[in-house]
Amino acid sequence: MLEVKHLTKTFRVGSGDVTAVDSISLTVPESCFASIVGRSGSGKSTLLSLLGALDKPTSGMIAVGGRELTGLSDHDLISYRLREIGFVFQNYNLVPNLTALKNVMLPMEFAKLPKSQRLERAKELLDQVGLIDDKQNRKPGRLSGGEQQRVAIARALANKPKLILADEPTGNLDSETGKKIFDLLHSLTRSEKTTIIVVTHDLSIAGKTDKTFKLQDGKLIK
Amino acid sequence: MNTVSRGIRNAFRNSIRTTSIVIILGLSIGLSLTMLIARQAVTQKISSVKSSIGNTITIAPAGFSSFSSANNALTTSQLSPLASLPHVTNITETLTDRLTTIGSSQPSFGGFGGQSSDSTSDNQTSLSSPIKINVDANRSGSGQGFHVFINGGASLPANFSLPISIIGTNNPGSIDGTTLNITSGKAISGTTTADDAVISSGMASKNNLKVGSTFTAYGTTLTVAGIFTTTNQALGGEVIVSLPVEQTLSGQSSDVTSAIATVDSLDNLSSATAAIKNKLGSNADVTSSIDQANQTVAPLNSVKSVALFSLIGAVIAGGVIILLIMIMIVRERRREIGVLKAIGGSNVTVMSQFMIEAVTFTILGALVGLIIGVAGGQPVTKLLVNNTSTNSATTIQAAGFGGRVGGPTAGGATHGGGFARQFSASGAVGSSIKNIHAAIGWSVLFYGLGAAIIIALIGSAAASILIARVRPAEVMRAE
Repeated sequence: MLEVKHLTKTFRVGSGDVTAVDSISLTVPESCFASIVGRSGSGKSTLLSLLGALDKPTSGMIAVGGRELTGLSDHDLISYRLREIGFVFQNYNLVPNLTALKNVMLPMEFAKLPKSQRLERAKELLDQVGLIDDKQNRKPGRLSGGEQQRVAIARALANKPKLILADEPTGNLDSETGKKIFDLLHSLTRSEKTTIIVVTHDLSIAGKTDKTFKLQDGKLIK
Repeated sequence: MNTVSRGIRNAFRNSIRTTSIVIILGLSIGLSLTMLIARQAVTQKISSVKSSIGNTITIAPAGFSSFSSANNALTTSQLSPLASLPHVTNITETLTDRLTTIGSSQPSFGGFGGQSSDSTSDNQTSLSSPIKINVDANRSGSGQGFHVFINGGASLPANFSLPISIIGTNNPGSIDGTTLNITSGKAISGTTTADDAVISSGMASKNNLKVGSTFTAYGTTLTVAGIFTTTNQALGGEVIVSLPVEQTLSGQSSDVTSAIATVDSLDNLSSATAAIKNKLGSNADVTSSIDQANQTVAPLNSVKSVALFSLIGAVIAGGVIILLIMIMIVRERRREIGVLKAIGGSNVTVMSQFMIEAVTFTILGALVGLIIGVAGGQPVTKLLVNNTSTNSATTIQAAGFGGRVGGPTAGGATHGGGFARQFSASGAVGSSIKNIHAAIGWSVLFYGLGAAIIIALIGSAAASILIARVRPAEVMRAE
C-alpha cells in the first residue's frame, strides 16, 4: 500500500541546513494500523506531512497504491490529498463557524459531490463515529475535545481515502477518551479497509498497532 | 454550503469587527460617492454655463470702457474683413450713444455712464425714458429693470430723466442676443438710411407714440417704424436704428463701438478668436464667450479638481482599508487556510472564499456609503461651490452691475454701454453657478459599484497572494 524509499527532507535555516527526515525507507501494507513513535523533534510530523503530500521531499520516493507522489504536479497533489488521503490532527482543526455536519461535508464539496449525497454521507459518518442527533448540528465550540476529534475522523473518512494520517490524535484528550478514539481508528481499518498511520508519543498506544516505526534524529531506528 | 455562502458567512464571524469594517468602508465609499456626485454636478453646471453663453466673440475698441473718454472706436472697414474669416458666420456691428432728454437737468452727483456732461442739442432727444427713478436711502439695487434705485440719500432734480440709449446696428432684429418681438409696425433693415426707428412698447407708452409718430434725436426727426416687446427689460429704455443712420446722426461716420462675431460651432471658437485677434491686432479687445465662460466657471473647475482628488483619495483609502483588513484576517486564519488545503481545497477555492468575504464587506460598506452619499452629496457640493466661488462670483457680479447703469463719469464720453452688456450676462451666470443641483443617478450608482469592486479587488489581491503562499504543511505545526 505505502512504500517509502530513501526519503529525505532538509530545511534551510539561518545557521545552515537541518535534515528533519534522513533517508527513511519503510513499507506499510493495505488495511494496516501502523504507528510512528519518537521524541519531539525526531521528524515524525515532517514524515507525516511528506506522506500526506503536504510538503515535498528533498529526495527519495513515496508511492501510495503503486502511484508515485514525487513526480506529481501541484494540481495532482491537491487531487491526491482530496481523494487518497485523510488527515486527523492533534488540535482537530475544524472550521469553527461550520457545524459538525458541514465540517464533514467540506472535503466532499471540494470533490464536487452533489449536496444530497454529501449530506447523506456526512450523517452516516458522524453516526459511525458516535456523534448523533443534535450534536451533528453543533459548531465545534460547543463540542468536547473527544467529540471534535470524532468529527475530525469523520471528515478524514469523507472521500473514502486509502490512507489516513493521524498526528497525535489523542494528544489533547484524557486517557479514557484517547482510548476510545484509538479504538475507533482501529476499528475503521477493518470496517473501511483503510490504512492508518498514527504519530504518537504514547508507547502503550503504539504497542497496540499492527506495525510500529521508531524515529530518532530523523532516522528510522526500528 | 458552497464557496460563496461560506465566504459570506465568514464575513459575519465577528460581529463587532464586521460592524467596524463596514462603517469605516462606508465612510470611505460614502466620501467617494459624495465627491463623484459633486464632480458630476459641477461638470454638468460647467457644460450648462458654457452652452448658455453661446458661440460668439465680442469685439470692442482697445481699452474701451463706458467710464472713459479716451475711446477710439473701431471702423466698419476694420471689421468688414472679419466676415470672410473661416468659421465666422456673421458679424453684428453696433454703435451706441446716449442722449439726454430735452429739458432734463443733470443730477448733483454727475452724469450716467456714457453720457456727455456738456449736453447740447446735438445729442438730445425729445423722448423721455420709461425707466422710473426711485430715491431710497436704505436700498441698493441694480439697473436691470424698469426701476433704478439710488441709495445714500442722493437727490435728483425734479425734471431729471434718465438718458436714452440709441443703438445703431446692422442687425436690428436681435439686440444683445435678444430677438425683438415687433407687435406693431415693422422691423427696420440694418442697412437702411431712412430715419426710421423701433422703440419699446414702454417707450411708446411713456411718450404717447405709435407707429408713424415722430420724435427728435440729434436735432433730426425720426419716425417710429415699429414697436416691440421684449423679455429683456433693459431694452425698454433704448431706441433702435440702423447702423448707417446712427453713424450719420451722431457724426461718427463708419465708427463702431462694439461688434459680435458668430462662429459656426463651439469647437471652432478658439481658432476663430485667434484669427480675429490676429486680424485686428492691438486695435481691439477680442473676447470670446468661451473666455467669459472659462472665467465664470473657474471656481467650478477648482471644485471639480478638488472632488477628483478627493474621489481618488477616498477610493485608495477604501482599498487600503480592505487590504489591511484582509491581510489581518488571512494571517489570523493561516492555520484554517492550511487545513482547507490539506483536506483538498485548491488555491483558487480558498482564494475565492476570501475574495467573497472581501466583496461582502465592500458591498455592505457600499450600501452604507450610498446612504452617506445620498445624504451628503447636495450639501457637500453646495459647500464646496459656495466656498470656492464666493470671491470670484462677487467680482463678476460687480462688473455686471456697474456696466449697465454706469457711475459718475468724468464727462465727455461719447460711447456708452455697448461693451458693458457682455459683463451683465456674465454677472447673471456668475450668480447662477451657485444654483447647483447634485443628484444621484444611475451613472453614479454604476461608478459607485465600480469603486466598490475596485476596492474589493485591491483588498483581495494581497490576501490572495498571502493565501497562495500558505503551505498546507503549516497545519502540522503546534499552536
